[in-house]
Amino acid sequence: MTFAEAITRIGIAAGMAVSGISHAYLYMHGYQHIPTIGAAFMLQASVSFAVAVLILIGGPEWLQWAAAMVAGGALIAFVLSRTVGLFGFSERGWQPSPHAAVSVVAELLTVGLWAACLVGRRRAAARA
Amino acid sequence: MTDAPRTMSRRQLIRHSAWFGAAVGLAVAGGEVISHVAGTAEAKQGLARPTLRFAQVSDSHIGFSGKANPDVAGSFSQAIGQINNLGYAPDFVIHTGDLTHLATPDQFDQVKQMMTGLRTPHVFTVPGEHDSVDDAGQKYRGVFGAGTRGDGWYSFDITGVHVIALVNTLNLKKLGHLGVEQLEFIAKDVAALSDDTPIIVFSHIPLFAMYPDWGWGTDDATQALSYLRRFSSVTCLNGHVHQVFSKTEGNVTFYSGTTTAYPLPHPGDGPAPKPVTLPAGRLHDALGIREVSYIRGQNALALKERTLQ
Repeated sequence: MTFAEAITRIGIAAGMAVSGISHAYLYMHGYQHIPTIGAAFMLQASVSFAVAVLILIGGPEWLQWAAAMVAGGALIAFVLSRTVGLFGFSERGWQPSPHAAVSVVAELLTVGLWAACLVGRRRAAARA
Repeated sequence: MTDAPRTMSRRQLIRHSAWFGAAVGLAVAGGEVISHVAGTAEAKQGLARPTLRFAQVSDSHIGFSGKANPDVAGSFSQAIGQINNLGYAPDFVIHTGDLTHLATPDQFDQVKQMMTGLRTPHVFTVPGEHDSVDDAGQKYRGVFGAGTRGDGWYSFDITGVHVIALVNTLNLKKLGHLGVEQLEFIAKDVAALSDDTPIIVFSHIPLFAMYPDWGWGTDDATQALSYLRRFSSVTCLNGHVHQVFSKTEGNVTFYSGTTTAYPLPHPGDGPAPKPVTLPAGRLHDALGIREVSYIRGQNALALKERTLQ
């Protein structure tokens, strides 16, 4: 594993962990009572933690794809909840603060690092 | 082109399966930990029984006659039966408006009689625009207005929770409207309360802009909510839109409740909010009641939406 790959791995794992912590915190502080959204928050948090740990200890590449999908899905859900609503639930702007902003930044970081990693691998494969 | 198809050896398959299994196992364990921590926190604060439990029904539209629901009285009876069979007696039941369809004396009499069958110490109501179609709510107040102020608004305290019932269906233009007198009432009503007092607000029309094009909002709600910003927990429950919807704005959470009569379209789905006729056997899935419980020390109320059975 190169230094860049190790940094990418740590970055993706950190992004997933932060996003998971935000969702878990919100779940414990009221969101558990919101129909469907509560369960979705717990699922997001638990899967994020699992994927973060496994990426950190050297899991295969498909775990990074899984991380990107979870983070991307959370970002899409965030946008839906601020526009057309999601399962009859909607929120406004960056509420709840600061958790909404923290989650979005962490998820963007995750997706960005995954994309950069993917491009790097493809370029390396093309050179080989 | 010399690309050979990529194949996976048995050893690789076993390795990936192990990682996948670990992912699933960790996710399940993580979920258990999160739900356990959340449950433990709740149990510490509330032990066995919630501090307050109540039920919400809405939009019974007694007197409505149409294909969308040919028997609204029957549906409302079922809702009452369902509340009476929750397994506990709710501290109160709130009807968030449109008790009747056309505000006739007979319809008021019928809905009042039906609601006497609720097994609860208190029944509260707020009027919907259908309850004041021709008299600015006079008949409604004649039947349900005892102890209210102004055009039918009021507040009360129960188990440490402050409850405010608002009337935003009179003086309607397009959106709901509270008016200066009622806004002053709210400001004075909460002035002496401490910031950690949980606040529950009932109204018929949403206090948030759910879909203003259809009148699903209240034009002066921002002013009303400004008096409630300092409170750590504010929950607004409304009817009118005949569907479950929720929204959070800072410290305020809004929950629209469903109906016991007939569904309306989702916001913007069609030109106007007309009754929707569902395929046979599907109506009861769109109707329902809501259970609400509050545990002292928690900011959020717990809601359970129950479809009509």
